[in-house]
Amino acid sequence: MNYDRPELLDRLAAEYALGTLSRQARRRFERLRSTLPAADRAAQDWEARVAPLSVPVPPANPSPELWSAIDKRTGGAPRSPSTTGASRGWLTWLTPALGVAFGALATIGIVRMYPDRLLALDALVQERGELPQSYVGLLTDRDGAPVVLASSTRHGRTLSIKLLKPIVVPSGKVAQLWALPAGGGPFPVGVVPASGKATITLPDTSEKLFSNVPRLAVSFEDRPASRGATPSEFVLSGHCVKLW
Amino acid sequence: MHPAFVAAADPAELQALLSRTALGDRAAFRRLYELTAPSLLGVALRILNRRDRAEDVLQEVYVNVWNRAGSYTAAASQPMTWLTAIVRNRALDRLRSEVRHEAVSLDDDDAGSTYDVEDERPDPSRLLEQAGDALRIRGCLDAIEGVQRQCLALAYYHGLSHSEVAAHLERPIGSVKVWLRRGLEKLKRCLDASPR
Repeated sequence: MNYDRPELLDRLAAEYALGTLSRQARRRFERLRSTLPAADRAAQDWEARVAPLSVPVPPANPSPELWSAIDKRTGGAPRSPSTTGASRGWLTWLTPALGVAFGALATIGIVRMYPDRLLALDALVQERGELPQSYVGLLTDRDGAPVVLASSTRHGRTLSIKLLKPIVVPSGKVAQLWALPAGGGPFPVGVVPASGKATITLPDTSEKLFSNVPRLAVSFEDRPASRGATPSEFVLSGHCVKLW
Repeated sequence: MHPAFVAAADPAELQALLSRTALGDRAAFRRLYELTAPSLLGVALRILNRRDRAEDVLQEVYVNVWNRAGSYTAAASQPMTWLTAIVRNRALDRLRSEVRHEAVSLDDDDAGSTYDVEDERPDPSRLLEQAGDALRIRGCLDAIEGVQRQCLALAYYHGLSHSEVAAHLERPIGSVKVWLRRGLEKLKRCLDASPR
């Protein structure tokens, strides 16, 4: 099947999100989704589109046992953010190997558009023989130490975040990432975790959002900032550059 | 507005709770659960029609949210949309894994499965009408041909596959596929035009 046709991906994504695909067809699409960013985007678009149809579904009160089971399975054991799950296991040892293969740029995470999907991107880069056109930001602390790496492919709608060293986020606060456009006020991009990695879903493509953004910054806020909000003091900042 | 509608949780609050969950804040995680679990259980229950299975799905979803909140937090610009998609996908996977008929078939066109479970869930077509009212696209939805609308509602609210919709309506699967395809195109236009 030729998955380069956007209308085919859109139809498959629609059927996937609506729920009409058989077990086998669902698995096929999920595999496709994990290897082809365009398929994942199409699925996300359709999932967002049909989610409001659930609004009239009558709610149901969960049994007390449900929370007990969740609490038991999530409580007690210490965890490290973003490093759980089997897929992260191989990623941990695979990352240095790919770092060597791709050189310094890959090492700092530019190819990490989809952290879970490194192999797919690996294949893409191998096939094309170059890194995709991307926006890359490197935020440093006041001592100039690199702390946050942000990257997104030029026409992508997600921003990959990698913490190069943990941030000490004050209790009850969140670390808010801001874009500082040339000649305009800052606008919020998303919340970055204290450590590990994250993927921020963008309201538009990177090209639309970041083409006029020379700098990024992070501040501590009481809650994720909404558009038009004024940032507190920046604790991290850095350049945002085009990788092409 | 339909009396069964729940007041939608404030997206900014859910976003803040998700951020704090990513930092390991258990109180925030508990609050997130309290605010979202009833709606999400409703969604899973429509699809699975069994409370024990629906609660199993929710358990997996929330454990996953806790373990991977670091990667989810910032992505959740619309937390309920994101959570609903996860719950629906898990519920559909669970539903499909229980339909043995399909498990042995590699052919998506296979119409061998049957749908004869005793069903006391609300009429899915009625739910679609209510969604149309809530999203202020009722007129647009009503303009979709009746049988196409019925197919869409059975698929979305009850998680029926192509072949199950065909069996349920006692119509050829080829016709059902065409109805669903045309219905989806119209549904897309309606939903994209929603003022919400």
